[in-house]
Amino acid sequence: MKEFLLTIDRRIIFIFVALGVIIPSLATVRLPIPITEDVKAIYDTIEEVSAKNGTILISFDYGPGSMPEVQPMALAVLRHCFRKNVKVIGMSHWPTAVGLAQEAFDIASKEFGAQYGEDYTYLGYKPGGGSLVINMGRNFHDAFQKDLQGSNTTELPITKNINGLANFDYVICLAAGNTPDGIWIPFGQERYKFKFGLGCTAVMAPDQYPYLQSGQMNGMMGGLAGAAEYETLIETSGKAIAGMGAQSFVHLIIIAFIILGNVMYFLYGRQKGGAQ
Amino acid sequence: MRYFLCCIILVLCAAQLYAQQPTGVKAEDTPNDSGGSITVVWNRAELPDGTMYKIAVSESETGPFHPAASIDPSGNLQSSDPGTFGHGTETSQMHFAKIAEYDDPVDPSKKIAIENGKTYYVQVIAQLPYDEVFPSAIASTEAYENFFNTLKTNNFVLGTIFSLIILGGIFLAQKRELFIRRIAGLEALDEALGRATEMGKPVLFIHGLHPMGSVSTIAAINVLARVAQRTAEFNTELRVANQDPVVMAVSQEVVKESYLNAGRPDAYSENSVFMVATEQFSYAAALDGMMVRDRPATNIMMGYFYAESLLLAETGASTGAIQIAGTDSYTQLPFFITTCDYTLMGEELYAASAYLSREPKLLGSLKGQDIGKAVLLIVMILGTILTTILGNQTLTHIFTAY
Amino acid sequence: MLFLRRTLPLIIAFVVGMIGILVFYIPHSGAQSLEQELATWDRIVAAFALVLGIYSLMRLHWSRVRRQQAAWGYSFLVFVGFVITTLFAIYNDGIGPFEPQVLNSGPFDWMYKYVQVPADATMFSILAFFIASAAYRTFRARTPEAAILLISAIIVMIGRVPIGASIYQGLPEIAQWMMDVPNLAAKRGILLGVSLGIVATSLRIIFGVERSYLGGGEE
Repeated sequence: MKEFLLTIDRRIIFIFVALGVIIPSLATVRLPIPITEDVKAIYDTIEEVSAKNGTILISFDYGPGSMPEVQPMALAVLRHCFRKNVKVIGMSHWPTAVGLAQEAFDIASKEFGAQYGEDYTYLGYKPGGGSLVINMGRNFHDAFQKDLQGSNTTELPITKNINGLANFDYVICLAAGNTPDGIWIPFGQERYKFKFGLGCTAVMAPDQYPYLQSGQMNGMMGGLAGAAEYETLIETSGKAIAGMGAQSFVHLIIIAFIILGNVMYFLYGRQKGGAQ
Repeated sequence: MRYFLCCIILVLCAAQLYAQQPTGVKAEDTPNDSGGSITVVWNRAELPDGTMYKIAVSESETGPFHPAASIDPSGNLQSSDPGTFGHGTETSQMHFAKIAEYDDPVDPSKKIAIENGKTYYVQVIAQLPYDEVFPSAIASTEAYENFFNTLKTNNFVLGTIFSLIILGGIFLAQKRELFIRRIAGLEALDEALGRATEMGKPVLFIHGLHPMGSVSTIAAINVLARVAQRTAEFNTELRVANQDPVVMAVSQEVVKESYLNAGRPDAYSENSVFMVATEQFSYAAALDGMMVRDRPATNIMMGYFYAESLLLAETGASTGAIQIAGTDSYTQLPFFITTCDYTLMGEELYAASAYLSREPKLLGSLKGQDIGKAVLLIVMILGTILTTILGNQTLTHIFTAY
Repeated sequence: MLFLRRTLPLIIAFVVGMIGILVFYIPHSGAQSLEQELATWDRIVAAFALVLGIYSLMRLHWSRVRRQQAAWGYSFLVFVGFVITTLFAIYNDGIGPFEPQVLNSGPFDWMYKYVQVPADATMFSILAFFIASAAYRTFRARTPEAAILLISAIIVMIGRVPIGASIYQGLPEIAQWMMDVPNLAAKRGILLGVSLGIVATSLRIIFGVERSYLGGGEE
């Protein structure tokens, strides 16, 4: 038994994690969700943009892998924007985000009757990363001559008055990679001084705090918990709130295994030179 | 008596009029831009609620003036733009407005852009509630292109100082030998490659997800050059997995050159440096499959990694391979540390090239980095003391990005 | 030959590097246009490089299929996936390749939604299992520093999910403080060191001190 607890087979741990996800998901466990200031800041900025009937840019920089964490953020932000008549222009640095972004626009625009070309458009994917942002900074229409549906950006009502990145009232990056600190901040925000917010995977979030404190970023949604907070703010129950039960229980299971591992290590492992 | 009262009323009216009229109006070219904009400044004044400042622009001193901007007296104070106007106390008593266009008199829904080299006349009008208007004196200026962004002066000076320190380190290194602390992960490189040779199994070199412009990728390429030289000497099979086509092309050249330098050009195969997938998890899945099927004796993971780090390292650990990782992605470091035999952390990855080659110039740049770090530490301690104890923000302002 | 392989790349690195630095400080339209031009060229090169990547991928897997190496079936699947996806993209739900891609219907969309999305999401979800097993095996309070890390990690893990507030109301605030203060301080320290490293590496490349990225080390 001692040996078993010192070196639990990883497949047993996997079973516990799987049960920790499946049971709360089936039982639809609902927990109260506290709101953090960083998430509230994004919500408040969109409210401000709404007051001046402004336009925001959302950069969808994630893929199917990170979809469970980031797509709920995209839906929540789009729902908020369309409900408050904020115009939204979407784009992607990741080719795999195109289908997900289009799906999010389709769902949210149908719910609130937002009109393509007037209230929103999606520009699709372009390669280039930092170079693309530099091009967008000074000549938006040159960087994106057409949107994904083939309409000219110089003619589309929502894009025709956008000359550069400084014309956006807010830029939000929904990311699963290096686009916020590797592309948007150094090549975009630092040069054109627009307001910048971020939604990212939980594993990326700790890296972004220096940019929050420096003011280069004014708000952040980190992981599924961040998305759940935003859903709570807009009073719409989506997949993020539904996933909070499973996430909570999996965290508890991992903590339980860490504590078990340490208890066994202190009881028996140290004599053996450390358990592995 | 009646005459006297009339005079007093007239004087009071004039004084009232003067109090409402915007004063200290000046116009100048907007600094730090590529032209097409002028900046108007004027004094702050106490005005009734509901008052707005209207900025009007004309191409002639006698008018007509065309609307260009509407400013709320509670905003647009110079103190809100310290980069341009500084941190002086007077900045809270001055308004400013940057004007890049004004209404087209023919069609007010259209705008006319400010042109470079043309003189514009500007008037600031205080518009009180009930449409009482008090125009200011007229100021004039021209817009032109600037050759230096003074907002970035601190960045330029500090960047130059740190660059000179690093270049100084490189210069000094050619004159005397420099000490570099032991980096276990790099010391173990030869041992790991030797093990693969003994076992007759391949070495798998895995690039991170950043493109060629990233410093971590360049550092990884530098390590790859040394690894390829060793595998060529040991006659061990090397496989280099890539996620970015440009990184792949550079890696192919680097490995080819290294084999050539080792005197084994025949041992180089173009298929040894290959593209796996451009997508993060397809990349991880394909490499996990290779690890499980081919069981490389050594896995070297260098560059910037994301969530795939643990997928790769945990799978590699389960196959019993010696694993050396190097990344400047701090969030992934714990995963590598727990699952790899050796991990190069942050700057250690950048130092790898200098460490492996012992080239004095490269070592010198490391020394320069250390001196730069010492300077930053002193500045931070001084800045903390000045701000916290003495309430002096000078150092903070010097190191602020505008 | 040495000029093309060594000297010319070093000159290009120096010139483009210096332009990249200088245009950051020069707002003049001439400098800005030059930067725009360089950025456009960079995007063109990146797009062409994709072709190179496809060529490498196809060549590698073709050689595996041809030699019938171990697990060559997977390599064959690469071709199947590539050909099917390309054909579906060209078919474009019946309207052809010269119209904007249809994204909410048709076989291309089906492949994306019902093959790529679940496959990628599955890979990402494996992470949760691996984290649990790696944490159990290695997250031990062997030293006082490791013990501090362990306690911090547990507080943040509970405090960042809703169940934390249900256990103790103050936990989310403590977790947030840990992220805002100790985490931020550590990140900033690392970031400063890394930034200096980036400056040093960039200077080494611009001034031709670092040449191993050209292959073959210092000769």
